[in-house]
Amino acid sequence: MEPDGQLKPSSLSTKDLPWQLLWSKEKCTLCGRCTAVCPVQAIELGVHRKRVLQIALGLTEKPGNVFGVYHGIRQRTDVAHACIGCGMCDMVCPNHAIMPIHNDEPDKLRFHINQGGIPRRRGGRRNATGSFLDEIKFVRISMLTDPALDAGRHEFELRTLLGRILPPEEALRITREGGWLPPVREIYPLILGSMSFGALSPTMWEGLQMGVAFLNEEMGMPVRFATGEGGCPPRLLRSRFLKYVILQIASGYFGWDEIIHALPEMKEDPCAIEIKYGQGAKPGDGGLLMWYKVNKLIAAIRGVPMGVNLPSPPTHQTKYSIEEAVAKMIQSMSMAWGFRVPVYPKISATSTALAVLNNLTRNPYAAALAMDGEDGGTGAAYNVSMNHMGHPIAGIVRDAYLNLVKLGKQNEIPIFAGGGVGKNGNLAANAAAMIMLGASGVQVGKTIMQAAAGCLGSEADRCNICNIGLCPKGITSQDPRLYRRLDPEKVAERLVDVVVGFDTELKKIVAPLGRSTSLPIGMSDAIGITDRNAAERLGIRYVL
Amino acid sequence: MSLKPTIMIPGSEKGVRVDSRVLDERIQKAVAEGHRNIEIIAQGQHGLGGRLWRAGNEPVSIRILGTSGQRVGAMGFPGTRIDVVGPASDDVGWLNAGAQIIVRGNATNGVANAMAQGKIYVAGDIGARGMTMTKHNPRFEPPELWVMGGVGDSFAEFMAGGVAVICGHKAQQADNILGYHPCIGMVGGKIFFRGLHQGFSEKDARLTVPDDDEWGWLTIHMAEYLEAIGRTELLPELTEDRAAWRLLAAKKPHEKAGAQARNIGRFRAEVWDRELGTGGMIGDLTAQDRGAIAVITTGSMRRFVPFWENEKYLPPCQAHCPTGIPVRKRWELIRKGQMQEAVDLALAYTPFPATVCGYLCPNLCMEGCTRQKADLPSVDTALLGRASLQAVVPAPAPSTGWKIAVIGGGAAGLSVAWQLRMQGHEPVIHDVRKRLGGKITATIPRNRIPDEVLEHELKRMEGEILHKQLKHALTEEEFGKLHEKFDAVVIAVGAQKARIIPFPGHERAVAALDFLRESKLDQAKVGKNVVIIGAGNVGCDAAAEAARLGAESITLIDIQAPASFGVERKHAEAAGAKFLWPRFTKVITETAVELKDGEVLPADTVIMAVGDQPDLGFLPEEIKTEKGFVVVDEKYRSSDPKVFAIGDAVRLGLLTEAIGAGRVAARAIDDLLRGREEIYDQLPAIDPERVKLEYYDPRPPRFEDPLSCAAGCASCGACRDCGLCETLCPQNAISRKEGEEGAYEYVVDADRCIGCGFCAGACPCGIWRLAENDPLE
Repeated sequence: MEPDGQLKPSSLSTKDLPWQLLWSKEKCTLCGRCTAVCPVQAIELGVHRKRVLQIALGLTEKPGNVFGVYHGIRQRTDVAHACIGCGMCDMVCPNHAIMPIHNDEPDKLRFHINQGGIPRRRGGRRNATGSFLDEIKFVRISMLTDPALDAGRHEFELRTLLGRILPPEEALRITREGGWLPPVREIYPLILGSMSFGALSPTMWEGLQMGVAFLNEEMGMPVRFATGEGGCPPRLLRSRFLKYVILQIASGYFGWDEIIHALPEMKEDPCAIEIKYGQGAKPGDGGLLMWYKVNKLIAAIRGVPMGVNLPSPPTHQTKYSIEEAVAKMIQSMSMAWGFRVPVYPKISATSTALAVLNNLTRNPYAAALAMDGEDGGTGAAYNVSMNHMGHPIAGIVRDAYLNLVKLGKQNEIPIFAGGGVGKNGNLAANAAAMIMLGASGVQVGKTIMQAAAGCLGSEADRCNICNIGLCPKGITSQDPRLYRRLDPEKVAERLVDVVVGFDTELKKIVAPLGRSTSLPIGMSDAIGITDRNAAERLGIRYVL
Repeated sequence: MSLKPTIMIPGSEKGVRVDSRVLDERIQKAVAEGHRNIEIIAQGQHGLGGRLWRAGNEPVSIRILGTSGQRVGAMGFPGTRIDVVGPASDDVGWLNAGAQIIVRGNATNGVANAMAQGKIYVAGDIGARGMTMTKHNPRFEPPELWVMGGVGDSFAEFMAGGVAVICGHKAQQADNILGYHPCIGMVGGKIFFRGLHQGFSEKDARLTVPDDDEWGWLTIHMAEYLEAIGRTELLPELTEDRAAWRLLAAKKPHEKAGAQARNIGRFRAEVWDRELGTGGMIGDLTAQDRGAIAVITTGSMRRFVPFWENEKYLPPCQAHCPTGIPVRKRWELIRKGQMQEAVDLALAYTPFPATVCGYLCPNLCMEGCTRQKADLPSVDTALLGRASLQAVVPAPAPSTGWKIAVIGGGAAGLSVAWQLRMQGHEPVIHDVRKRLGGKITATIPRNRIPDEVLEHELKRMEGEILHKQLKHALTEEEFGKLHEKFDAVVIAVGAQKARIIPFPGHERAVAALDFLRESKLDQAKVGKNVVIIGAGNVGCDAAAEAARLGAESITLIDIQAPASFGVERKHAEAAGAKFLWPRFTKVITETAVELKDGEVLPADTVIMAVGDQPDLGFLPEEIKTEKGFVVVDEKYRSSDPKVFAIGDAVRLGLLTEAIGAGRVAARAIDDLLRGREEIYDQLPAIDPERVKLEYYDPRPPRFEDPLSCAAGCASCGACRDCGLCETLCPQNAISRKEGEEGAYEYVVDADRCIGCGFCAGACPCGIWRLAENDPLE
């Protein structure tokens, strides 16, 4: 209700909001922690009047009124302060006196969030809980037919190749003739990213990089991290850890002059260069780092002034056709490191993906193709892009792989897939499904946020405020008051847990296939699904 | 001891190999028949020597010649002794449950797999996966595997108990007697070994040296082993150098946890920061401390900070009062028991605290009262206004000698003159009327303002302000003289010229102002039927007066919904006046007002109340006017810097607006005379949402006296010093700090405050504000 006691079309009650805060007067100790921590000031101390009628039994005396006042936690109902359901209030409450509860019916806020004609923007993920990848089963369990392996006991070298792999005879010929051989990296099939410095907080980014370095140097797992657009800290560029990094270049070209300046001082080549043309979470839409996230640090890394909006347009300006665009970018980026570094484009999964892939097969410098499906995450996008635009990843990966098979090049151009891998926590199963559909490796982002840093976001539209710099866990904030809640060491530690755990699970899946050294890329006879149409579409087993 | 002689069981008959099933039947039968020494000339048959329970507690000795098959001694029983004279195939002693098995040559893969009891003595090397899945059942002695040479790959996988001894004597792989990756998944048991190795699963096993007990056990049992395989000559060699022996023992579950290579903290310090430099990845780019902080923070790490904003905003009453009277301040004084001060305070703002605030003003202050937002009646300022009759005139400032001509002695003129007088100047009111007060005196009916109140206030003013009664309406020439003679001139002539719409017959209508003036002098007369054209407040006053004068039927017509409100409207309605709209007058006849739609309203008297205009005939052309009103800026300065204009001469308005204009103009004149330009800080009005009315009785109260009003005033924006914030603050961060002369403030200890905003949420007066903390780098 409005202060004047009148209703406006956008006057909302708590019932109209997506999240209702249940507060217990009985349990509350009025410590102030919940209101202090709430990222969006959805709650405040409320003054409440309480009236008690005092009536003597038998009505022997004249009834009396007792008015009193008590203080409690009150939920605000205006659009700007609607509860986001993050649950930080519950987290800090010493008595568990408060907790957000999801509305039992679709909220009304969604109809009013476009105040001032600005449609909803948010971070996070598509608000759809299902995961097609979860539907895929691993049906080939070779107990006796193949030499089955034991995931716990056998030694596995789960590695994949990133780079253009030439047919042996050609490779031999070129070697003999002393020609140029495309660079190929042997890496772990789980790639982190792409997540930019800027979209992520400094503590989160450093924590992940530290974890990656640890996995490489202490655990012998060649895990790679794709930077996303937004540059790379100068020190990292000049360190040996650069070899664990896939540098991304995108339409905003942020931070690239710093990368160029660092070229003469690089101790190591980066793992690869990813040219981003599209993102699964918001295909066809660009990126925007809001000015309030562009502090001194971000400005320095991106090579821009502080406090300005940083748009990455949906398209690169100097590219006009697919033939020319892709070739030109791959050529330039390859040249930057003397053709020693694999360069590949990343596109959002799309019905036009095969055109890109076919183009790449004709380009000797194209190292791979990365595709990002609709279930990918993002730091900021329009709700409509996130929820309604994009292509599922499974079918497009399969199509791409089968297309390569048709061309006889399935072992030459690796496909990397992302977007919803591990969406519901089934990271290894989803990754394995993707690999058996034809991917050489997977890219993950959101899952890592959740597992390595405790991201509170969910497909039920919980939190998802990465875009406004108020991340309650400090994952996507540039405000030291928030990002210092996150200890990079702990992030690194969790990342190691996640990857090591993933490794064990992946082994559990591939061991019964008798695979211990080569990934079952495209091994579609090992997977099945109970949906006949899906089975037919993907060319995998229909099982019941 | 055996009762029967050694029996020989051949593995082939007539050149044909005997089936494993048949051979086993024959062996079992032989034992059942009492044979305890059996020689088998094997041809690769499976599972020889196993399951010989038919011997009961008696020992059975099996000697295997020829080629033993897989799983010699599988499921062997205690008391069975199997002597394989030569090498053995896979899985020797598989699931052995107590047999002693001697292999005089090498054994291939899977030796002792799943063995739970018994002993296996191998005189040579063994193949892969020896001693795997072995158990130790606490009901029995642990199983033992002795190997003279080395073992193959994946030794002791999932070993869960038992003892293995690997002597490393003339091992085939002398550089690695334990094979590739031994001990994976090992959870129990021990492995004694002697010789070189190339690693084992450190996750599962721990490398030590035998302690004294273990060494004792090894040497004693070594002799038995050598005896069994007939190599006793090796005893000295194998036992003379205790230091050559090592022991692998399974790690206990608690030892396995956290067995990571290096913890991240050390990695960060020793690897990460060392490679990147102090401060890590971005240590060169920011000096910002990035150390982890708690979720709930204080000091500079608070996200929000409270501010005590006492009297930084105007209360809505004061903000809504065109005169600018500090209403809230007056209630505060009353609450403190300073009634007289509260009353006197009004005179600093208006010369008519009783007449206007108490009777004639629609009390915009009350309309703005925060209590309205909670559907509570506003505090009644009219009560306070009426109580102001007894206000004591403050002493004017020392005389400045500056003279100001004020043309017009109505509300506006009196206000500006009053203010100028209080500033020490000498205002002179020029008015043709004998009595000051303008419309208040001349036209507002007595039922709205008691004479004695008005008289009292006029008298109070007359004691302070000079009044020069003009003989006739001011002329342009006279105005010029005033302009010359005085230091400043204020035009406050009001709107005295009635507006008459020239309908046919308009000459039959009387202007409302004239009617009211005459009525007040008791010189007006009305007929039975009165029609008033224009249903505004002046029309209403006319209606009420017409009724007083005996009219029987009074009709007010208007071309739109009547703009009248408040007391005037009520009085007219109480007098039985009808309001009709929209009605468009066509003609005024002797007996009626005829409307354009043909309706005829009988009218003996027609009063025209469609507004008034100032009479500015004296104004020289240089002073700009627009549509008959003097053009002024926000300080009521006309286009002539020395001439000011206020009240209805500028725009038609309420008395309080005229009085307020007088205040503003007086300040501007003061500035002009003193040659300065001051900015009078007009504080913004407080957001009424900040004020908490839940602390007050929600039932509509009856305000019957200033004291009850004072108690109901929420003191918007001004601290009541209730101390609630200090009490409520969960961190004990707020305290009251005494200043000089009773001044105080509430202050926050930043090191305690967590920025919860409870102070802002609870403050009854809306003093505390929670703001975002200043951004950090």
